[in-house]
Amino acid sequence: MVLLGAPRWLRSRLTDRFWRVQEVLKYARHFRGRKNRCYKLAVRSVRRAFVKSTKARKEKKRFLRALWITRIEAASLEHGLKYPAFISNLLKSQVELNRKMIADLAIYEPKTFKSLAALAQRRRQEGFLAALGDGKEPEGIFSRIVHHY
Amino acid sequence: MAVAAPTARAAALAPPLTARRFRFPLPGALPPPARAAMASFTKAAQQWATFARAWYLLDAKMQPPGKIAAVTAVRLEGRHKPIYHALSDCGDHVVIINTRHIAFSGNKWEQKVYSSHTGYPGGFKQVTATQLHMKDPTAIVKLTIYRMLPKNLQRRTLMQRLHLFPDDVIPEDIQKNLVEELPQPRAVPKRLDEYTPEEIAAFPMVWTPRKYFTVKTTFHLILKKNIEYC
Repeated sequence: MVLLGAPRWLRSRLTDRFWRVQEVLKYARHFRGRKNRCYKLAVRSVRRAFVKSTKARKEKKRFLRALWITRIEAASLEHGLKYPAFISNLLKSQVELNRKMIADLAIYEPKTFKSLAALAQRRRQEGFLAALGDGKEPEGIFSRIVHHY
Repeated sequence: MAVAAPTARAAALAPPLTARRFRFPLPGALPPPARAAMASFTKAAQQWATFARAWYLLDAKMQPPGKIAAVTAVRLEGRHKPIYHALSDCGDHVVIINTRHIAFSGNKWEQKVYSSHTGYPGGFKQVTATQLHMKDPTAIVKLTIYRMLPKNLQRRTLMQRLHLFPDDVIPEDIQKNLVEELPQPRAVPKRLDEYTPEEIAAFPMVWTPRKYFTVKTTFHLILKKNIEYC
């Protein structure tokens, strides 16, 4: 049905423009400059922010792992061990803690971390004995591999 | 400090983020750095002890400036602490004394070149390490540390927490702040004249020189003079 006359001008008007604009601006409120107020600028900035956020999800994992490693290195140096020695000997002793847990232990459970460092140091010495010794010494206690399967 | 630190750090509570500039949740928000945020009243002293900025002393006498700078840069950044985070501002102060007496290995005093440009044409200046050290005894250590710090805006702030003194003399107000002396990175060997005669006598001899092999007879031997020896 074709509308003729005055009603044709009033066919459809956008009534919820305010909310459509707010939908975008609410993500831009903490930005700096006019892009936290003006829709045209905000649309671009918000889209870039979302894109960066999406890409950053992969980088976050890298960043956090690097942070954990830095923290573990600092804590293990306090106990006289370097990070590679600490981690490799912990793995050889079948302590399968990931870096996140070890970093949290280093901050919140210092005595536990100290015992982990002592374990790694002991396993390291046993490794040296096995490699450099005569071969006549008994094999190290912490070097024993326990099969759980 | 080293004994108190592990237990002191034990209760840095993961802070609920107090509003500084960030609002939760941000897209791609990272976990907040452990920093001086609201913890309970009973843990206040522990939190202060954990996040306090310490002052360390380092003696640079007979030390290579590179090793000094490596240790110092780590301390300035705060990377020696398990609570490290780049945004936490958890670095410490470092006071380095005796920078006049640093010791480069090899021929670096003559061969190492420090370059700069004044900005004007023809203003490219190159000085050897010796010349720079003569002009300013703290410059070498300062430049080495500056170049080892992360290249961001925090670098200048960290350099302000570094205090260099060419000799043993430290101002009183800095001396009052010092907490711990860091061990020197290089073990300084003793000179021959620093050994006591008892130590020299106690040192085991590798071989017994025959009584004819004195300096004089060896000298004649080298000049191939006929000399009776047995």
